[in-house]
Amino acid sequence: MPKRVLLANRGEIALRVQRTCRELGIETVAVYSEPDRNALHVRQADAAVAIGPGPATESYLVIDNIIEAAKRTGADAVHPGYGFLSENAAFAEACDANGITFIGPPASAMQAMGDKVAARRLMADAGVPIIPGANDVDPSDLSAAHAEADRIGFPLMVKAAGGGGGRGIRVVETPDGLDGAMQLSSSEAAAAFGNATVFLERYVSPARHIEVQVMADAHGNARAFGERECSVQRRHQKLLEEAPSVAVDPELRARLCDAATAAALSCGYRNAGTVEFLLDDRTGEFFFLEMNARLQVEHPITELVYGVDLVALQLAVADGEELEPGPAGPPEPNGWSIECRINAEDPHANFAPSFGLVEHVDMPQGPGVRFDSMLYAGLDVPVFYDSLLGKLIVWAEDRPAAIARMRRALQDLVVAGIDTNSAFHLALLDNPDFVAGNVDTGWLERDFTMPPPADDGRDVTALIAAALAAEMGGRADGAAPAAGPSAADLWARVARADAMNTRVQHTGERGWRSGIGS
Amino acid sequence: MAKRHRFVVGEDERSVEVDQTPDGVTVTLDEGDAVDIDVLEVQVPGTVSFFVGGRQQRAYVARRAGGYEVTIGERRFVVETASGGRRRGAVGGAEDVPGQITAPLAGVVVEIRVSVGDDLEAGTTVLVLEAMKMQNEVQIPHDGTITAIHAEAGQNVDKGVLLVEYDTDSEE
Repeated sequence: MPKRVLLANRGEIALRVQRTCRELGIETVAVYSEPDRNALHVRQADAAVAIGPGPATESYLVIDNIIEAAKRTGADAVHPGYGFLSENAAFAEACDANGITFIGPPASAMQAMGDKVAARRLMADAGVPIIPGANDVDPSDLSAAHAEADRIGFPLMVKAAGGGGGRGIRVVETPDGLDGAMQLSSSEAAAAFGNATVFLERYVSPARHIEVQVMADAHGNARAFGERECSVQRRHQKLLEEAPSVAVDPELRARLCDAATAAALSCGYRNAGTVEFLLDDRTGEFFFLEMNARLQVEHPITELVYGVDLVALQLAVADGEELEPGPAGPPEPNGWSIECRINAEDPHANFAPSFGLVEHVDMPQGPGVRFDSMLYAGLDVPVFYDSLLGKLIVWAEDRPAAIARMRRALQDLVVAGIDTNSAFHLALLDNPDFVAGNVDTGWLERDFTMPPPADDGRDVTALIAAALAAEMGGRADGAAPAAGPSAADLWARVARADAMNTRVQHTGERGWRSGIGS
Repeated sequence: MAKRHRFVVGEDERSVEVDQTPDGVTVTLDEGDAVDIDVLEVQVPGTVSFFVGGRQQRAYVARRAGGYEVTIGERRFVVETASGGRRRGAVGGAEDVPGQITAPLAGVVVEIRVSVGDDLEAGTTVLVLEAMKMQNEVQIPHDGTITAIHAEAGQNVDKGVLLVEYDTDSEE
């Protein structure tokens, strides 16, 4: 086991990895950008190193700064988390070159999975089902392209071989549209990736996004930990995940897991990875989509239904330990787990991002509830990073109980000062399609409408609360002073608050504890 | 002694009368029936907790320019003090003598929405001040006619600087 692990990340995932490290007696080193100085992942680490200003390109993405921080603090291993440098082959190589263990796959496996056409060939050779299509279509030979397209069938997708991030991808409904789409994707790909090669794939829709957690060691063993259902997405962003999937029975699970381990072994994969598949409910067919060479955001739901600490396994495998073989037969999940991503955004204003000072937090607790979160009262959510505040995860005996438990946990979560998408999750859990499990990757954007806030009388509660606050701190006319309260005002307020046996805190527009706080 | 608080929530003007007596606290909503409430002691700063008709209510209250922000469960309510500013608005002139509007905070004047001679109703936005990437609408607190504008778009202003002068329309 490593002695000291540097977490090359921030937010909830840095905290998540730190927790397992501390349980195993491993010291932790945090890195942080200037606006993250006060973040929990910095507070809870044994050591912390500043790596630059707010923008990630000047801090969390600067390989040299992170390697330097690891050397300076004597860290013998680096955990990349997800996002940032987690799938950056140059970073993995830089760790190796400096004698630091990279807790993740080898650079060669990342590169093998990065080239889409190469990955398709690798998977086909390994017997992993790939989406029917045609590799390496010459964009200038349109008659050959039409012959391939007729074989694949419409609708189909034109994709750039070197592509990524949704660029160079077009859906073609009929043969008439093929020529134009080929030209556009090809020129876009040439400009963006320096490679005009395109390939064709059947457009599998509607489909579910089903992914399989795998873990591979340095001794040629790979193990799959069942599937996660991640079909609830908006603009390709997952919002709610569950394990297992309503669409997967033991027979299908066995086939998915076999395909996932074959995929991992085909590219010399090591450590934790996720193999993503598209599942066509109507035919029961599934197809390889891509492999994510990192620990996923939604890994905790797998941990809860398979009783495993994936971070502990990552550390062991990175240290050269051999994976214990799983039980014979397909993995059997125990109970049901759901994760809701709690994002700083306003679901009633088209999910506009929210940031600023978190003034108060009530944490959900109780049986079967896990909240992996960066939240605390006093956190100033910076504008530079993604909007994920935390992941609310529940476990229960079955899906209906897990849904009821998640609803309860969401109702317990209170965040004052910034907006969160809790109301969205509550509406989702009440949606009949979701409750029935009838979702595909397009369902949320196609069929779900965010309902307006319920007329449940809480506006009256808010009015009374505001009036009580005004009683305790307002001026004679009840108007709020534009400037912060004076010291004399404060003492008067404390006296009045004591007289009323309650306390109200007054914050300035963005001030922290500018009012009474005892 | 009873005190009436006037608020604006969304488009609606609401009033809450709070009467504190040695026996307890009574609230009257929008001039309806008086309701006894039991205000509880809460040690968490900013948290107000009370019973109405035996039902426990819990809210987190934060003071904002122009009113309050109240968080209850997953919902946030912006409760403006009536005749105060709008959401994310700053009440120009809350501290000002009638006839003058000063900058409620330091910032950059990004837009001036009125001209000398304009006849305005109370609450009309006269200019927009940007600070910390937030646009703050500065409003006229009384009905009045603009007589002078002392700022221009793009100008940096300190808090308290005189921005606009106006004649109040009548004795209020």
